[in-house]
Amino acid sequence: MAILKHPKLEELEQHCCEALQEDLNDPSMFAYADFDETAVERTGASNYSYWRSTLNAFSKNKVAMFLLCLMLAVVLFTFIQPLLPAQFDPFDVNNDPATGLPIKNLQPNSVHWLGTNSIGQDLWARIWSGTRTSLFIGIAVAMIEALVGILVGVLWGYVRKLDFFFTEIYNVLDNIPSTIVLILISFILKPGVSTIILAMSITGWIGMARFVRNQVLIIRDRDYNVASRCLGTNTWRIIMKNLLPYLVSVIMLRMALSIPGAIGSEVFITYIGLGLPATTPSLGNLINEGRTLMMSPNLRYQLIYPTILLSIVTISFYMIGNAFSDAADPKNHI
Amino acid sequence: MVKYLAKRFLRSFITLFIILSIVFVLVRQMPIEGYFPNIEKMSQADIERDLHMMGLDQPILVQLFDFFKDLVCEGSLGVSRVYRTNVPVTTILADKIPLSVQLGSMSLCLALLVGLPMGTLMAKYKGKLFDHIGTGFIVLINAVPAAVYYLFIQLYGTDLLNISMLFTRNPEGIRWVLPVISMSLGNIAYYAMWLRRYMVDESKKDYVMLARIKGASENQIMFRHIFRNSFVPLAQYIPTSFLNTVIGSIYIESLYGIPGMGGLLVDVIKKQDNNMIQGIVLLFACVGVIGLILGDILMVTLDPRISFTKKGGDR
Amino acid sequence: MSANKKKLDKKVIIAIALVLIAVIAVIASGVFNKSKTDDTKNPADAQAVFTTLYGSEVSTLNYLTTGTTWDQTIGANVIDTLVEYNSFAQVIPGLAESWEVSEDELTWTFHLRKGVKWYDHTGKPVADVTANDFVSALKYVLTAEYDSSSSYLVYDAANIVNAVEYEAGEITDFSLVGVKAVDDYTLQYNVTKPTPYFVSCMTYGCFMPAYGPQLEELGADFATDNEKMYYCGAFIMEEFEPQVKHVFVKNYNNWDAANVHLDKIVREYNAEAATLGPVMVERGEIDSASLSNDILDEWMSKNPSIVVRDRAVPDYSYFYAFNFNPQYDAEYEPENWILAVNNENFRQSIMKAFDRLYAMRAIEPNNPESVLQNTITPKTFAAVNGTDFSELEPFAGVADLYFNAEAALEYKTKAVEELTAAGAKFPVKMVITYKSGDTDWENESILLKQQIEGVLGTDYVECVLWAGPSESFLSKTRRAGMYSFMRVNWGGDYVDPATWTDPFAESFNAADALGNLYAADGAHKGNSYNMMDMLLDTDAYPETTATVTEYYAAVTEAKAITTDTLQRYTKLAAAERILLDNAIVVPYCIWPASAQVTKLNIFEGQYAPFGMSNLRYKYQHLSENYITVDQFNAAEAAWLEAMGTTK
Repeated sequence: MAILKHPKLEELEQHCCEALQEDLNDPSMFAYADFDETAVERTGASNYSYWRSTLNAFSKNKVAMFLLCLMLAVVLFTFIQPLLPAQFDPFDVNNDPATGLPIKNLQPNSVHWLGTNSIGQDLWARIWSGTRTSLFIGIAVAMIEALVGILVGVLWGYVRKLDFFFTEIYNVLDNIPSTIVLILISFILKPGVSTIILAMSITGWIGMARFVRNQVLIIRDRDYNVASRCLGTNTWRIIMKNLLPYLVSVIMLRMALSIPGAIGSEVFITYIGLGLPATTPSLGNLINEGRTLMMSPNLRYQLIYPTILLSIVTISFYMIGNAFSDAADPKNHI
Repeated sequence: MVKYLAKRFLRSFITLFIILSIVFVLVRQMPIEGYFPNIEKMSQADIERDLHMMGLDQPILVQLFDFFKDLVCEGSLGVSRVYRTNVPVTTILADKIPLSVQLGSMSLCLALLVGLPMGTLMAKYKGKLFDHIGTGFIVLINAVPAAVYYLFIQLYGTDLLNISMLFTRNPEGIRWVLPVISMSLGNIAYYAMWLRRYMVDESKKDYVMLARIKGASENQIMFRHIFRNSFVPLAQYIPTSFLNTVIGSIYIESLYGIPGMGGLLVDVIKKQDNNMIQGIVLLFACVGVIGLILGDILMVTLDPRISFTKKGGDR
Repeated sequence: MSANKKKLDKKVIIAIALVLIAVIAVIASGVFNKSKTDDTKNPADAQAVFTTLYGSEVSTLNYLTTGTTWDQTIGANVIDTLVEYNSFAQVIPGLAESWEVSEDELTWTFHLRKGVKWYDHTGKPVADVTANDFVSALKYVLTAEYDSSSSYLVYDAANIVNAVEYEAGEITDFSLVGVKAVDDYTLQYNVTKPTPYFVSCMTYGCFMPAYGPQLEELGADFATDNEKMYYCGAFIMEEFEPQVKHVFVKNYNNWDAANVHLDKIVREYNAEAATLGPVMVERGEIDSASLSNDILDEWMSKNPSIVVRDRAVPDYSYFYAFNFNPQYDAEYEPENWILAVNNENFRQSIMKAFDRLYAMRAIEPNNPESVLQNTITPKTFAAVNGTDFSELEPFAGVADLYFNAEAALEYKTKAVEELTAAGAKFPVKMVITYKSGDTDWENESILLKQQIEGVLGTDYVECVLWAGPSESFLSKTRRAGMYSFMRVNWGGDYVDPATWTDPFAESFNAADALGNLYAADGAHKGNSYNMMDMLLDTDAYPETTATVTEYYAAVTEAKAITTDTLQRYTKLAAAERILLDNAIVVPYCIWPASAQVTKLNIFEGQYAPFGMSNLRYKYQHLSENYITVDQFNAAEAAWLEAMGTTK
C-alpha cells in the first residue's frame, strides 16, 4: 500500500513505538490495582452520551437556539392568538356598520392590524389560522415521510436482496406523475387537510427513501460494517447501531427541510387548483390569493404578510435543521 | 458491468410497461363526466355511444392490449381528444419537447456552473463572509415561494431589460434570459447547499488530514479529494433533476407563455385527455428510468468504492 | 493495481462528463434553436390591429363539433351563418338573402347569397359557398363517428326531421333527414313541429356551412389545424400556433367586408393572462384586458377614466335551488333536511332571509343591481308585443317575494312550530356547495352563510359550506345530490322562454323521449337540478307533490300553444311563477360582465341573448386610445335607447 510508505507517517510510527517502549521500561508507570466491584460495571472510557453532547453542541449555537424558541413561540401563538382581546374571527366577514357592506381590501390599521382581504375578512386572524394549518400539515407530512422513508430506505440500501425489488418499485412509483395521484385522491376524497397530507406523503416518502438508500449504499461496505458482519452482528443491529447514527445528521437536516417543503408544496397544489378551500385558511391559499394582487402595489400587503410568515418559518426550520445536523455529528462533539 | 447494464435496460422495459399499465388503469378510474364538457345536454344513449367510440366501454384488459398493440406495432399513441382534438399525440409532443428541453438544459447548466463553484467556495471559506452571503442566498431562495419571486423577477426584469412579458414577443436570445435565470435559482441553491454540506462533512475525514500531513496544497485537497468525494451523491441526482426541471417549469412556462411541456401534464389530466396523459407519462417515465440508470452509472464511475455487482459481505 | 491507471480512468470519466455537459449545452443552444424569430414589425401603419391575451387554449377549431363557447370564438369570426344578429338583437340576412316558411310551419326555405366564396388560410379562393355545403355540414354534425357536442341542438332545439334517428343509427339514408339543397342557392329544412324561433337557430355552430369535398376528404381530421379548413366569414385564420397565438386577418372579399373594421386580430396566449393582462395594458403592449374583482378597486382609483365593463348577456341564468333528494353523508343530517325542505314555511324563511345583493358582492362588487334577476328567465331574453317576458302579467309583484328580514322571521316562527311537530331537529343543517378553487364563488358562499345565519339565527339553521372538487364538479355535487341549497345555472338554447323550463323537467331530452326515461340500472333519471320530480314517485309530502304536479301540468299546457306568442309566453310565465311563489327555487342573477380596459367599442358588436353572435368582432371599431368611461356610458345609453325602440 502506497499510503504506509509515506516517510512522515513512518516517522510518526517510529516515534510512537519509541515512546511506548520508554514507558514500558519505566517501573514507576505501573502499580497493582485492587479489585473494584463498581469498576467492573463501568463501561466506556468517559461518560460520553451522544444525545447530551448533541444537545450541548446545539445549545451553543445562539442563532439556532433563538430560532428554535421563535418557532416554539409561533406554534404556541397560533393557539393563543384567538384568545387574545381585540381579535377577529378568521372566517367572519366584517361589515361596515354604516352601509352594512363588507369592508374589503382595507389597508392595515389599528383595528385590523394587517388589513382585510377582498371580502373583508381580517388578515391578521387569517394568517395565524393559516399558519396553524400549514404547520400541522408540514409536521405531519415530515413525520410520515421520515418514518416510512427511513424504514424503506435503509432496507433498500442495506439488504442487497431487496435492492432489485425496491429499485423496481421506486422506478414505477417515481415515474407515475404525482399530479395524477393528487388529482385521483382529490376525486376520491373531499378536499381538506387530511386529503392534502395523504396526497403529499403518499408520494413524498419515495424521495426520502431514495436519499437514505444512497447514503446507506455509500457507507454499507465501509470497513467497520464489514467487521461487524464478520463478527456475526445481525442486520437489525447493524442498521440501528452502525448505519442510522451515522445518518442522523443528514436525516435531521432533510426532515427539517421537508416541513417547509411540505408547506411549499401546499402552495403549489393550491396553484394548480387542488388545494384547501378558502374556508380552511392556510399559508398556501393566502399566498395564492395574494399572488393575483401582486401587480397592484397598494394591495401587495395581502401577498407580503403571508409570505413573510412563510419565509420566517422556512428559514427557522432550515437553520435549526442545519445547526442540529452539525450538532449531531460526533466529530463536532470534542 | 456491461452485463449488469444490459440486464438493467431490459428490466427498464418491464418497468415502463408496468408504469404505463398502472397509469392506463388509473386514468380510466376518473369519472365519465370529465370526458364530456356538456354532459348536461346529452342523453344516456349519446353518452354510451361516445364511450363506445372512445373504446371505453370495453373491458379494461382489452383496452390495455389494444393500446400496447398500437404502440408497438405502429408506434402510435393515438390522437388527442380534448387538448387538440384529433391531432396525434406524437405531433403535439414533438412541437413542445424541444422548447422544454432547451429551457431545462440551459437552466440546469447554469445551475451547475454557478451552484457547484458556489458550494465549493462556501465550504472552503466556511464561517467566512462568502459562506454567510451564500447561506443567505440559499435561505432566501428556499424561504420565499417560487411562485412569488418568479413574479417579481418577471415584473421588474422585463422592466429593466425593457422587453415584453411574453416570451414569444421577444427576440431570440434575450427571451431566454429571465426564464432561465428564474428557473435555475432553485437548483443553484440546491446544489450549493448540499455540496457545501457534503464537503464540510468530508473535510473532517481522516484521509483529508492525511493529505494535509502529506503536504498536499489546500486547493489540491479541496478539489481533487474533497470535491470529488462530495460530488458523488449529488452526481446521481443530475439526470433526475433535469427531468424535474422540465416538469417543474409549469410556473415559468405559464408566466412567460412558453409553449412547452411544463403545465401540459396538469392540463391534460384536468381535461381527462387519456391518450395525452399516457403519451406524456411514457415520455417522462422513459426519461426518468434512463435518468436513474445514468445516475447510478455516474455514481459508480465516480466512486469505485461503490459497486452494483456482488462483493463480499453480502446479506 | 496501478494508481496511475486508475487516475487515468478518472480523467477519462471527467472528460466524458465534461463532454456530456458540453453536448447538452450545444443541443440546448444549437440544434433545437429553430430560431423562431418573431415578426415584431410594429404595424404602426394605417392598419387596425387589435391585440389581446387569452388564458386558455381552444381545444379545437372544429365549429361543427365543439360544445364550448370559448372554442366557438374561432368559428364565429371565420364562418358566416345563414342569418345574423345586428347590434340590437334583431335577426338580419347573412349568407341567406331571404327566407320563408310554409303554411303548415313545417318547411323553411332559405335563398342564399350568390358569389360568396370559400378561402383557404392564405386567402386564396377555393370554391363557391352553395346550399350543398350546409347539407354536408349538417350530415357531418349528425354523423355519430364525429361525436359532435352540439348535435343535440339540431333535434332538441331546431326539431329537424329524422335528425336524432340518423345520429342514433336508426336510419342510414341521410336524404330522409330534414335538410335539402333544392338547387345551389336554395336550402330547405323540414321540422317535426311548428318552431316559432327556428330562424334564430340558424346562428348555431352546428348549422354553419363547411366545404363538402373537404369534409369528405378530411373526416375526423377536419379543422384540426387552420390549414385544414376553409373560411367564408369576416376573418381568415392566418396563423394558429396552439398556446402561442391566433392571428386573424380581415377577409376583404367577404360579402359584408364594409362592416368589418379590424384588419387584423392577434390573440396571444398566457396562462396567467388575468394577472399579466392589466400590467401589459399599463405598459401599452396590448389593446384589451379584463380586470378581476380583486384588483378592480385598485384600477378604479388609479385609472378611473378607462375602467369600463363588458356587455352583460342574458345567456345563462343563475339561481339557488333547494335539493329535495339530498345524498350527502349522515353527518349533515339529510333526513332532517328532507323534513325541512318539504315545509313551505321553511323554504320561504330561507328565501326571505337571503339578501341576494349582499352575497352578489362577491361576484359583482360595484353594481350588483345590474345583474340581479327576479325570474329564472332573465330580463331581456325574450319579449312579446314590446313587453319583456319578465314583466308579463303573471310576474306582477314578483320582486316582493324576496329579501325581507321581518317576513323571514314570521315564516321562521311558523316553520319551527310545524317542523317541531313533524319531529325535525334544530338547527337544520343546510349544506351549501361551491366549487373549490373558484374564489368568487367561495366568497359568495361565505357571505351567504354569514348573512342568512345573521337573520335567522344559528339556533334555526346552520349553513355548512362544502367545497366540491374542482374536477368533474357537477357530477360530484349537483347531479349527485350533494347539496341542500346551491347556486346552479342553466343556459338558454334557443330564443323561446320554454328553454328555461328544461332544467326542471322530468326529462327534457329528445333522445330520451325515444323511450329511455330510466337509466340502465333502473334509476330514475329525471331532472338533475333540484330533484323535485323524485317526489312524484312518493306520497310522503303531498303538499310539495301537489306543487310539482301543478308546475308540470302548467308547462305542458303552455308548450302546446305554438301560434299565439303572447298566450304561450303568458302561460310559461305563469308556470314559472308557481316555482317562485312556492319558494322552490330562488332566482339570482345573470353572469356579471367583467370589468375591462379596451380599445373596442363593444356596443357596436352583434348582440343576441344566446349563442355566438356576441363573440364576433365584426362591426367593432378600434379606437386610438382606451375607451373612456364617458365614451362607454354614451355608447351604452345610445345602445339601450336603440334596443328600447326596436323592441
